[in-house]
Amino acid sequence: MEHLHVHLQGDPGTAQRLREVLAREGFRVVEPPPEKPAGAIVVQVRANGINGASAEVEMEARVEELERSVLELRNLDVAKSQFLTNVSHELRTPLTAIVTYGEILRDGLLGEISARQRDAIESMIGSCRQLLAMIEEILTYARSTATTIDIRPGEFGLREMVAEVRRMNESLLDRKNLTFSVELGESLPPVWADRDKVAHVLRNLMGNAIKFTPEGGWVKVQARAAPGQPGWLQIEVADNGIGIEPEHHELIFREFAQVDSSRARIHHGTGLGLSIARRFVELHGGRIWVESTLGEGSRFFFTLPSTEAVPAEGEAPRGAGGAAG
Amino acid sequence: MSERSILLVEDSEAIRTAFTILLEDAGYRVMGAGTGGEALRMAGEHAPGLVLLDMGLPDMSGLDVVRRLKADSVTAAIPVVALTGRDEDADRQACLAAGCAAYLVKPVDTQRLVRDLPGFMTASPAA
Repeated sequence: MEHLHVHLQGDPGTAQRLREVLAREGFRVVEPPPEKPAGAIVVQVRANGINGASAEVEMEARVEELERSVLELRNLDVAKSQFLTNVSHELRTPLTAIVTYGEILRDGLLGEISARQRDAIESMIGSCRQLLAMIEEILTYARSTATTIDIRPGEFGLREMVAEVRRMNESLLDRKNLTFSVELGESLPPVWADRDKVAHVLRNLMGNAIKFTPEGGWVKVQARAAPGQPGWLQIEVADNGIGIEPEHHELIFREFAQVDSSRARIHHGTGLGLSIARRFVELHGGRIWVESTLGEGSRFFFTLPSTEAVPAEGEAPRGAGGAAG
Repeated sequence: MSERSILLVEDSEAIRTAFTILLEDAGYRVMGAGTGGEALRMAGEHAPGLVLLDMGLPDMSGLDVVRRLKADSVTAAIPVVALTGRDEDADRQACLAAGCAAYLVKPVDTQRLVRDLPGFMTASPAA
């Protein structure tokens, strides 16, 4: 090191001796201006009696730049989240206007329309809703990559959530004449997790199952105690749809890695859904994976803590006399 | 209080016009406001039967508008329905806790909204 850009603080005598030692050791000590310049290392001189090589100097090299960088990154993260929230709002506004006007036209509020006009408007509204869902997915993904993403765990049952997601997919289930069944163990404890994030995972897995299962097939949601993991639940979303090739079983959980662009094209996906699901499951300490045979169907599994999960050291999720959540 | 009147608070003019067409077709008298300040003033003056409130307003947060409506004895009994672009449980909870009768995510299903309106208007305000 040719230049040691130091800012010596403390006792002037000691500082002077340290300066001499450093100069003797071949360092060029650059005196900074009173304001510490960026990049300089602040050396706090505390010891007395510096004497050549035996100098006993306690140096506190506080790399303030690092701290400042961390702070800046954190601020950037907050700014990014805020930006994404605003973008979401800004994009929704014109789409809301389009969908609302579409429905007004469709329902004849502005005058009678023909059956063909009605079909055209219906298709326009459907596309808008699809676009909206994709925008949401991209934004959810962007938010999920924030380093400061927080998990707000609470207690809830899966039955109600599965029923809600089912309702959202009702028309597609009907149209494809799919058999939908749910098997949740009666004695299972409630989930202890972030409700919004689990709902997102279920929406994604159930949505995919329904999307990738041809007419007349079946989709089944099950939950059981996770084998070998006391207090954890294993949730399964299974279908007898098109299935996934073995070499893609890992790949599909990675962002921006669409298994097959034609599949994405046919089914209008962003390809981000499963990587968001993985991120959300892993934030809870859980695992997500798939077992699938091409042409026969897929079984997606994920694990979540239940209210009976062993609490992490030093904290009691619930039950231990705690006001939780 | 005028049972068949709705105060529509929405800063996007396009959406405000669309909702006005929709609500008038369903037989309501519609008053439009584009800001939180306007909304508070009009709610106090006209005592509408319902406030449809966009939560993302330019001058103040929708939550603040709800809280101020609920804190004022003149407007406290008017049911407020939140219209929002954010489908998040935490936001939903905050809106309901502030006294909203419902939390609807845009774009709402217009047929369903019209069907649900009478129910919102008779909903007893949060105690």
